[in-house]
Amino acid sequence: MEGWEVPIGAAIAFAAGAIGTAWAQSRIGAAGAGTIAEKPETSGSIIVLEAIPETLVILGFVVASMIILMVK
Amino acid sequence: MDYGYVNARVKGMNSILFNRKYYDTLILKADIDSLITELEKSPYKNEIEEGCVLHPGILGIEYALRKNLIKNYHKILGLVRGDIGEIYINVFLNRWDIQNIKTILRGKNIHASPNEILECLVPAGELDEATLTELMKQQDIRSVIDLLATWQISYSHPLTMYLDEYSEKNDLAVLEYALDKYYYEHSLSIVAGKKYDSRIIHDLLATEIDIVNIKTILRVIRDSIDIEETQSMLLPGGKIFKHKNLLELINTNSIRDVVRKVESTPYSFLSDIPEQAFLTDKISAFEKELDRYIIRKGIRTLRGDPLSISIVIGYLWAKFNEITNIRIIARCKNAYISDEELQEELIYV
Repeated sequence: MEGWEVPIGAAIAFAAGAIGTAWAQSRIGAAGAGTIAEKPETSGSIIVLEAIPETLVILGFVVASMIILMVK
Repeated sequence: MDYGYVNARVKGMNSILFNRKYYDTLILKADIDSLITELEKSPYKNEIEEGCVLHPGILGIEYALRKNLIKNYHKILGLVRGDIGEIYINVFLNRWDIQNIKTILRGKNIHASPNEILECLVPAGELDEATLTELMKQQDIRSVIDLLATWQISYSHPLTMYLDEYSEKNDLAVLEYALDKYYYEHSLSIVAGKKYDSRIIHDLLATEIDIVNIKTILRVIRDSIDIEETQSMLLPGGKIFKHKNLLELINTNSIRDVVRKVESTPYSFLSDIPEQAFLTDKISAFEKELDRYIIRKGIRTLRGDPLSISIVIGYLWAKFNEITNIRIIARCKNAYISDEELQEELIYV
């Protein structure tokens, strides 16, 4: 079987981004929940902060797509 | 333990503590009634309203401050319940147990009424109000210690051990020293590890021991108390001053010599105290500076690792400082002390 390296590489790129995002969001989520409990007026900023690590998984997705499309 | 959630909440609580500008607003209030009105607009609203219904004037404020302190400390304890953080926080809160037992013993010593004693208690530690009320109802000091022993409360061990010596000398300082010694030794043994959290609390406790010892030495010199007798009243486990260094300090003849000897230590700020205090042997000025030092050091831990216990410990000190400052303002307003003198008494951080 040939060409299996490409999907495996893409999977690793995507999975690493997803794991990184999950870890960051769990920590930010916990701290964010604590902050909102004490200061509800900060919920807007906390939602934005919670979303920032999403960039990691998007980056992982882009890299995975590039691997599949560009690596021959 | 994941401190993310707890520390975020504690930082949120810390952000609503009074700043210097708000203290100035409180100081500018003309009398105790306008101070109460101002505090009703602050996070102390509920407690002040309750306090002022139950007690008039300054007593209402004192009641509210006690209630608020207990509420905040118990709230934090609830956040870390079941985690290692609970042990660390209890190390800090246990000092209130010691303070409460000392207050009850002092009250029994001067035959104060249970109500008078109750007004001075702050049930922020592990001994709750019901336990303290029951202790207060006892006839004398021996009965208080017996009841503690019956309930198998650990503070009964040092008290029982020193009870005979107390009976011989009839000096309450013997029992108070026993409690302090037990508290610091027990607490230091809990935070003996090399972990970051343990080291922070160990450092604060060791500094406190130094401060208690320096205060004891200053009093001994001022009152010309027998040195042999005092040696047994020094607490072990200090950060800078070990037993040998303390003996050197105690063998000096004057407060000025003590201050000169501590110049090479972190307590060198004592030499900046006005000359008048040295001439009149006014040790309250030295004690105030030492208290300020430990409070500032405690609050500085807020700037430590944001994912450690240091944030919580820093907040506990900051809250204690806020309560102390409001109490100073209330007491000074009640006694018509000038705003300038009042400002000197406050501890700004």
